[in-house]
Amino acid sequence: MTGHILLWISPHVLLALVAILMYQRRLYRDFPFFWVYTLYETCEFVLLYALISIRTVTGQQYTYAFLVTLVISISLRFGVIREVSDHLFRERPFLKEAARGSLQWTWALLVLAGIACAVFAPGEDGGRLIGGLAVINRGIGIVQCGLLVFLMCFARLLGLSWRGFAFGIALGVGVLSGIDIATYAIRAQLVDEGWMRTLNLFTTGSYLICSLIWLGYILAPESKTSVVTNVAGNEVDNWNRELHRWLSS
Amino acid sequence: MITAWIFVAIALFALALLTYFATRNRTHPAGIDGAISMIRSIDMEAFRNLVDPAEEEFLRCALSAKEFRVVKRKRAWAALAYVRCAGRAAVLFASAGQAAQRNSDPQIADSGMQIAHRALRLRLHTLQASLRLLGQVVLPGNGNRPLVSLIDEYEKTAQTLLRLGRLRNEQHV
Repeated sequence: MTGHILLWISPHVLLALVAILMYQRRLYRDFPFFWVYTLYETCEFVLLYALISIRTVTGQQYTYAFLVTLVISISLRFGVIREVSDHLFRERPFLKEAARGSLQWTWALLVLAGIACAVFAPGEDGGRLIGGLAVINRGIGIVQCGLLVFLMCFARLLGLSWRGFAFGIALGVGVLSGIDIATYAIRAQLVDEGWMRTLNLFTTGSYLICSLIWLGYILAPESKTSVVTNVAGNEVDNWNRELHRWLSS
Repeated sequence: MITAWIFVAIALFALALLTYFATRNRTHPAGIDGAISMIRSIDMEAFRNLVDPAEEEFLRCALSAKEFRVVKRKRAWAALAYVRCAGRAAVLFASAGQAAQRNSDPQIADSGMQIAHRALRLRLHTLQASLRLLGQVVLPGNGNRPLVSLIDEYEKTAQTLLRLGRLRNEQHV
């Protein structure tokens, strides 16, 4: 039990650290949604931990509080995805236009896939609150993870460099959503208590990994900028000339 | 229970993709020479010939329908190899342009921005062309839209680039 509580506490401590580091480095200006998300997750943990510690709070009351906080957390994650996507296209307005259509289509297809999964694979316990919630969360995981995989594919195909921390945020949220798909899919099918406990451990463990990813990316130096400063002027002209020559041949 | 395992498989696939992107998310600082030699290795005349609608029309008249499909498929594969090569070079140029964009010298930064902008456009064109060529591989008998418009696009882009280059040279003088 102590191990489980430690596993529950540690990612939130790391998230609080990420929030502090973001504040110190003024990164909250570039990523306000993610900053709010880290703060919110930390506060949410304090609230839920307090509720679980108070003996007078019933299980049902705790479940309702958990549900409300989960909805806000999911909404914030969508905001974070929007934020990293904007960051990717910030310096390339013409690409933003090109990507907008593709993103809208991807979004629509993923939402349809999520709904179809909920309708055609409702799970063993879909009629009850927790079972129904697992099915909805599984769908949301598909949308969020799908959007991030699409963005990364798009960036890779076009050779876009996604600078350090923005990529770290996208990676962390992607991993979190990917694991959500798997764990909520199993939750939707299984009602067994033993499995649920194992899944809880798995979820908190994966959250710890994501917190470490965010912390790692915020602490890692921006290696790409060191390359940038070494580009000589004549080299740039040379590249440009080669590109002109090839395009007009 | 099988449904749950299908979702687990989907999740694992997505996580594998994310891991791949995480390990490959690096710039290509030393790849410029490679890009230039890649661009030099592209024979534009041969490519133009491969996607020439007049040439295609000639083959359609000269060959039986079955032979034409076989030849067209081979030509589409060959053109696809050219386009892929150009696409890879465009990615390298885009990376280099983006790197130069963050240079402290405003002129280099400006040149970098222009290179990145044009290279990304070029990459978009090559992606579009790849899809169309793959379409020709799958359905060689169908009357596909000619890829000459793609070369026109390249040339228009080149004109803009040359104009920008000239403007910059005038500024230097």
